[in-house]
Amino acid sequence: MRFGVGLWCLQATSSAPRSHAAAYRDYLEDVRFAETLGYHSLWLSEHHFYYDGYCPSVLTAAAAGLAVTSTLRIGTGMLLLPYQTAERVCRAALEVGERSGGRLDLGVGQGYRDVEFDGKGVPRRERAPRFTSAIGQLERVGADGAFHIWMGAQADKGVERAGRLGHGILLSGALPLPLVERLAGIHQKAWIDGGRRGGERPRVAALRNLWITSDPAERRAVLDWQRASYVLYQGLGWAVSATDANSEMDFRRDAEQAIAAAVATTIIGPTDEVIEGLRSVAAAGVDDVVLRIAVEGAPQEAIHSLMRQFAEEVFPVLGEPIGVGSMVVGGR
Amino acid sequence: MRIAVSATAGNETHCAQLAESQGLFAVLIDAPVATETIAAAAAVVATTSIRIIVRLHVGTENPVTLAEEIAVLDNISNGRIGVLADTGELGEEAALEDIGLLRASWSGRPIRHQGERWRIPAGIDGHVTPDAIMVTPKPVQIDMPLWLTGKAASRVGRALGLPSISEELGAIDPAANVAPGRITLQGSIEHDREALIAWSDAGATHIVCDVPVDAWDATLAKIVRWIVPEVAMVGFPRVVAEAELPLPWPRRTTV
Repeated sequence: MRFGVGLWCLQATSSAPRSHAAAYRDYLEDVRFAETLGYHSLWLSEHHFYYDGYCPSVLTAAAAGLAVTSTLRIGTGMLLLPYQTAERVCRAALEVGERSGGRLDLGVGQGYRDVEFDGKGVPRRERAPRFTSAIGQLERVGADGAFHIWMGAQADKGVERAGRLGHGILLSGALPLPLVERLAGIHQKAWIDGGRRGGERPRVAALRNLWITSDPAERRAVLDWQRASYVLYQGLGWAVSATDANSEMDFRRDAEQAIAAAVATTIIGPTDEVIEGLRSVAAAGVDDVVLRIAVEGAPQEAIHSLMRQFAEEVFPVLGEPIGVGSMVVGGR
Repeated sequence: MRIAVSATAGNETHCAQLAESQGLFAVLIDAPVATETIAAAAAVVATTSIRIIVRLHVGTENPVTLAEEIAVLDNISNGRIGVLADTGELGEEAALEDIGLLRASWSGRPIRHQGERWRIPAGIDGHVTPDAIMVTPKPVQIDMPLWLTGKAASRVGRALGLPSISEELGAIDPAANVAPGRITLQGSIEHDREALIAWSDAGATHIVCDVPVDAWDATLAKIVRWIVPEVAMVGFPRVVAEAELPLPWPRRTTV
């Protein structure tokens, strides 16, 4: 199992105010720290027109992070493909990939917020055809290994498409494990039924809420920050069902229940319990885990402490050496 | 007059670091369409104080998207970005619309725009969407430094009160608060010094130098030693620059 960390959204929220310049300064420190500890990847996330400055330009941020590292992969989880011309994304991704020696994991999604489509002047009905067309162009441009493509679907249809096309899938941290297992199965079957495109089974990665602690007070605080982080997505209007998906995680229909369900996915406890939790994730068909620990507002010191402890105590038990294949994630 | 240099393609990190170490005020990143902020990011993270001027190809993408990229870069750099907006072949009206949207995106105000080229918000999905958007994050700087180049640059600059970068000496407006120029240097101290002094005398406030690629480092050294002082004061005593450099500072072998 390979481990990454995520999601860096570069926000300044009402519950954790800061300057955006400080957010990007911390991000550059975080990528260096992740590399030092031997993490395989670090993942960014994109949104637009939100009050907290949620990062709207993930390739620019990725370029900066890759320029201060030499082995760490940086992923976009997700770059929202329909909002730009495909040609522009291709050129930018190729530039980032070539400058970094192929360390860009280009996670792409379709987007789901009406205001973003409207602000970008893209009719929502065009999202699927624009996405499909852009994927084809990205496949051609990235064929030489400048970057790896991952898809950010959370529901059957998108997961099936990713498998059929031979691309890794990046699953949300909010999905309960039984759903993760079902989607991993759909992904694999689609790849086989689609003729095993690419020759090597595309990986399944999952963002998972996780924390190592034996302290009841820290446990309560971590879970409460997880709750707060999903309130943010409630504010964004996120609903899996709105992305052609599964109704289990609809933040618009029953936000309280959905947030509670998302927080309940958290693997939390002393190291041995966390390791057992991750074994269950692996048994569900997940190849790679991205630790969803960069919850907005969590102190950098706490995140770094967790990253260090995880690297020291979990890598030796479950980790694969860096440099074998590529790492993944996605979602939120 | 303040002197900047343009970085060579693919070598932005080295060029920016060297220019910063030698005290130049800015380095220009002149990258192809869609890669502007990617190339500039390399220069930004390799430096701490020098200004990074990004040539931005306006008209190639929704101005809101271009503004977002620049705003992110300005935050990464903690407010060191300047933009050289290249309007390319856009006509005056089209360039005015795109430049106006760039500025609106950085302003902190809600955007409601209906023009020939862009309608923002588009109102196409709009049962529940707001009638205006605000671009976030905002740049660090109070006002993004914005210079213009391209076919319509002069007219757009006059209309909006923005500097356009001059490539001809005669186009400099000595009364303008900011009057930037751009020059191609030859690498010859005699020629380059004479040319840059002429721009300074004409009233240029900032100048971007395109430096011979095969002699980039050496030309930069000449600029810094011989020309920066010339345009930093009236009547520079050349004896200062022409005197031999002092010995290298000795390394201390004991504490």
